Amino acid sequence: MAVPPPSLHLSAIVLAGGRSSRMGAPKAALDWHGTSLLRRVTGVLMRLADPVVVVHAPGQELPELPEGVLLAVDEQPGRGPLEGIAAGMRALHGRADAAFVSSTDAPFLHPAFVRGVAAALDGADAVLPVAGGHNHPLAALYRLSLLPAVEQLLSEQRMRPFYLFETANTRMLDEPQLQRPESLRNVNTPEEYRAALAEPQPAVTVEVFGTLRAPLGIDRTVVRAATLGGAIDALPGLADISHHVLVALNGEQFQADRSVPLVDGDVLSVLTAEAGG
Amino acid sequence: MSGFGRYLLVDLSTGGSEQREIPRHVLRRRIGGAGLGVHLARELSPPDLDPLAPEAPVVFVFSPLVGTPLTTSAKFAVVAKSPLTGQLNDALSSSHFAIAGRMTGNEAIAIVGRAPEPSVCLIDSDGVRVLAAPDLWGLPAAEAEDVLRARFGRGYRAAAIGPAGEALVPFATVSHDGRHAGRGGHGAVLGSKNLKALAVRGREKVAVADPKRVLALAADLRERSFGPATEKYRELGTLANLLAFNALSTLPTRNFREATFEGAQELSAEQVSSLRERTRTHCASCTIGCGHIYPAANGGARMEYENAFALGPLCGVSDPDAVFAASARCDRLGIDTISAGGTIAFAMECVERGLIDVPWLRFGSGEALLRALDEIGSGEGIGPLLRLGSRGMAEEVGHGSIAFAAQVKGLELPGYEPRTLQSMALGLAVNARGADHNRSGAYEADFSTRVDRLAGDGRSVAAAIETEDNAALIDSMILCKFLRGVFADSRAEWAELLSAVTGFDYTAAELGSIAAEIVDEKKRYNVEQGWTPESDTLPERFLNEPLETGGGSAATLPRERLQEMVARYYRLRGWDEDGLPGPDLHDPAAQP
Repeated sequence: MAVPPPSLHLSAIVLAGGRSSRMGAPKAALDWHGTSLLRRVTGVLMRLADPVVVVHAPGQELPELPEGVLLAVDEQPGRGPLEGIAAGMRALHGRADAAFVSSTDAPFLHPAFVRGVAAALDGADAVLPVAGGHNHPLAALYRLSLLPAVEQLLSEQRMRPFYLFETANTRMLDEPQLQRPESLRNVNTPEEYRAALAEPQPAVTVEVFGTLRAPLGIDRTVVRAATLGGAIDALPGLADISHHVLVALNGEQFQADRSVPLVDGDVLSVLTAEAGG
Repeated sequence: MSGFGRYLLVDLSTGGSEQREIPRHVLRRRIGGAGLGVHLARELSPPDLDPLAPEAPVVFVFSPLVGTPLTTSAKFAVVAKSPLTGQLNDALSSSHFAIAGRMTGNEAIAIVGRAPEPSVCLIDSDGVRVLAAPDLWGLPAAEAEDVLRARFGRGYRAAAIGPAGEALVPFATVSHDGRHAGRGGHGAVLGSKNLKALAVRGREKVAVADPKRVLALAADLRERSFGPATEKYRELGTLANLLAFNALSTLPTRNFREATFEGAQELSAEQVSSLRERTRTHCASCTIGCGHIYPAANGGARMEYENAFALGPLCGVSDPDAVFAASARCDRLGIDTISAGGTIAFAMECVERGLIDVPWLRFGSGEALLRALDEIGSGEGIGPLLRLGSRGMAEEVGHGSIAFAAQVKGLELPGYEPRTLQSMALGLAVNARGADHNRSGAYEADFSTRVDRLAGDGRSVAAAIETEDNAALIDSMILCKFLRGVFADSRAEWAELLSAVTGFDYTAAELGSIAAEIVDEKKRYNVEQGWTPESDTLPERFLNEPLETGGGSAATLPRERLQEMVARYYRLRGWDEDGLPGPDLHDPAAQP
């Protein structure tokens, strides 16, 4: 599995200020299995990127976001994604080397996709996935040093990201080179949104340790859940994360926020909190 | 009036003894156990002491709760300068020895001097007797205890050393009732005094300030001790940590080169408890019952996480029979399982790197593990080198091997990987005793959502101080740490318990200041005994080598991050930038 070099400090920009005209409702706040689309995308990116900045329109109401997410305002939200990317890059100035840029409506975004794109950066300035005959600039990686070039394009009213990739040292990634290419799937209309919601939720492995095995009646199982809360609810007998029960995600951080997004292949470790001895 | 307000000082060289008063403000501000122990040890120790010299004191300290009906209160501390670290060592244990010892009418028994020949010291209502007992020399501690009680009467309770203590192995234990004051080599200190065992029998009544209140509190605590906070210890014991730690990449494996172990399942409590018979045991006055004894060659083995990790994954051994037998062998020799496993694992890596020529000593070999333990016992083969502990051995082996000797201040690391538990990393680096999980429980924060356990920061420092302070209190009262989860508001409840027992009107805030003073006094002891700022760190391995986690990412603990945490820890403790406490303004002995 390709991984970005430890020396690359990765951040992320989520563009939440779009008009959502075809959806008819703000995409950022759309429900996604008990949480919001924006909460999901920021949560997935927070696994790999620090910080994550959400770029929104002036006065835009946002759904609840996890602690640590930065906010930036796109003062000219009608002028296309480059304006939002520039606003995000300014907010990240001096805090990272590169930013993965994502749209809000990417409910199938997988960390493995982001990791693969970031690993491809090497000496380039940007990494652009190309799939289904389309460029995907809103699922792409940009070095933050591109900000002057972005601002130059904006000042010249050249608003399409294409112009940036023309001049920047860009590495294109074709579909076979992409991990978890379903990450590129967007939801633009109510029909697409409903169809996406109706699909099976991510398959998540739950491992249970110690004295919790007896009351739960399982050592290891697979549940379908898009959030940590959904996974807990899928385990009859596990009341909730509490003073005495801990849940670690993929063997790393402990999580207690039920809105933490889960993705296909995640592993939850459920154990009692009394770890010492 | 509660308690006895005095301690007994015994000189083995002369056989003489005297009772000394302990001022009330010392009792109030040092409580008992580890807190009172460091105070008395400091008072009795000249600077730069040789820990194995006759004049070096070893203090057995009881606590105000000993002899009360409070669950888990039958505990005592053994406090002395460690021959392994050259610093303070306060090792705790529990059982009937604590009750019998306090009922001699003393809050502590301090021993200095050296008996002219292998001896036992008997303390009872007739006074103090130092009796020659050369026939006990060479026996495992448990057998020596049995002989003593058969010879002098069942009423005696003994703390004894095994053959390793007699041989001055610097990680030898003091044992009683199958439990050990395990870490730091107090067994060697007793051995240096020609003292095979201290046997006590008491008849003094332990009085408490408010008997009715104590009874009510004891009933309440007992009830709560059956709840979910102690279920793990009751049902599976601390061995339950092993498989969960493996999933979290915190299980030290093959001398801390890895933190996940392919044989974890075989050694897990979940598996061995379902496949093997076991017996559950309790310490005296305990309602938790965390002891799980499994059959092993040469008798049963008390399997806890720490001995399983150190003799299993740390040495790459996954065969439960070998690990159980190794644990039982450590008990018979009377050596600390963590230091034994840590030193053997270090030696295995030295072999692998070609630094020492011991071809049979390979990671993963249960036979090699058992042979290495035998040679620690016999002093043959590689035994003399292993008897030095990992730091001493690294000094002998050279070639930069100290970089991968997993110890702090000479004390081998317990089973908590510092790169994936970075609050704990700080606790291990700065604790007075060296790398120890009982005096610094910062892993509690790492096993929570309070901190980022892979990136220690200011929150980790605050957690390390809070848990170290709480350990100072609970080790001074003394209660079992496995009870800590039952307290909703720990310090307020501890203040209530102590007030009812002692009559001192404690508050949670006063306990907070007492905890900080105890930690300060431990540091002052160490400074007087040769501590240097360079020792508040971790071995190079943890600061230079990325650790691959089970999830495939790399956990790192950059040196600068640890240094920042240590500096912040000093500031928050009120110490100077070199880690030195200020003037001893709060020394209760200096008060009127």
